[in-house]
Amino acid sequence: MASGSEQGLDTATEDYDSLIATTDVELLKQAWRNEKAAPEILQFQASLIQRSREQIQLMEDTVEEFTENGTDPLTVSLYQMDLDRTQFLLRSYLRIRLQKIEKYMIHISRTNELWNRLSEQEQRFAKRCTDDMEKHLKQSVLSRLPYGYQSILKQSISSEEDDMVPEPQLDTFVFCKSKGSVGAFQLDDSGDEIVDLVGDDLYVLRYKSIKALVERGQIDLV
Amino acid sequence: MYGKGASQLLKELSSSEPGQLKNFNTDIFEEVIKECITHHLALQSLMRKIQEEGLDIQTTRNADHFGAVIHHLSLMRNKRCLMAYVYHRAEIIQSLRWKVGPVLPEEIQEKLKYSEEEYFRNHSAALMEYISELDLDLTVDMVPPKDPYIQVRVLDDIGFALVGDQSLNLTLHSMHFLKRTDAEQYISQGLMEDLSGS
Repeated sequence: MASGSEQGLDTATEDYDSLIATTDVELLKQAWRNEKAAPEILQFQASLIQRSREQIQLMEDTVEEFTENGTDPLTVSLYQMDLDRTQFLLRSYLRIRLQKIEKYMIHISRTNELWNRLSEQEQRFAKRCTDDMEKHLKQSVLSRLPYGYQSILKQSISSEEDDMVPEPQLDTFVFCKSKGSVGAFQLDDSGDEIVDLVGDDLYVLRYKSIKALVERGQIDLV
Repeated sequence: MYGKGASQLLKELSSSEPGQLKNFNTDIFEEVIKECITHHLALQSLMRKIQEEGLDIQTTRNADHFGAVIHHLSLMRNKRCLMAYVYHRAEIIQSLRWKVGPVLPEEIQEKLKYSEEEYFRNHSAALMEYISELDLDLTVDMVPPKDPYIQVRVLDDIGFALVGDQSLNLTLHSMHFLKRTDAEQYISQGLMEDLSGS
């Protein structure tokens, strides 16, 4: 939450405010940006979300308290604006994830690595979504096709792999900013392209090649 | 020509406005399904013919074999097109849940097939379950907030309603200065318009 809103408040709130200004909101913003820019679903930031929600609750209580004891309306509305912004971040973060689940539900539920990135509630949501989608596709198309062509995953019984599942495009380009100096970094397996990632510089690279760095938190998507 | 109907379905998708639905094209859809069944019958009879001639079905490479392959590939292509058609529509239906809310207006509902309506309801229920488990409404706050309060004009005669913690008389064309979060549900239902010019 913005740090400009603590004027004229007692020190206890000031401490509380500076505490949250330096940490979780920035983290939440970054998690939101990463999630927004990445083509695939990323690890759910469980503890960050938990903390953010607790802080939002605290802020809500504070705002309510201020309204009740007649604090300067300007202060209250600054707090309220802060609160709204954080809530937007939180909601938008969760929403983007749900929309990714909606888009790639079958792929996610078949890939263990991706499945484990979801929160418990998201897993339940994904499960229901997949069931509903399967039911819908079966009802309207698959059940009416001849035997051997009724699979939702395969084009026909003779396909060896599951070749009917929409997957995210991992080799799309993303904007990214390195947090610290990563040093020479190999972009593809053949070793032809090597980029020297300098801290705070902006790059446009294929998501696939920097995927590991994003997961380790060494690079931020913007 | 094989596969023509199916490609017509997809052309219809790509020519329509992004995010907008047209009527479900039952005529062509049924035609393609029939075509699939015809392909399958032709495929089976060719396979039988190969077997009756006493040839090994795995290794024979005569005219009948390649005929069967054509039918097989056409059938798969039709399947892909049909699936893409229904799947793409389902994606739009999902996005409607975010844009329009849990109840679809009649003019959209008319365009849906029965199973699509059912899908919308199921999907909506799945989303509601997630939201209630989370205890955080995700359908508000769709745009980044600029100001906690906005000016709105009422577009429908809503009458008295509880907004926030006060009861307001929301008559047609009246203007109010409301908390954005309170007004948002009315705006998304098309009952109010945002006058803040954002």
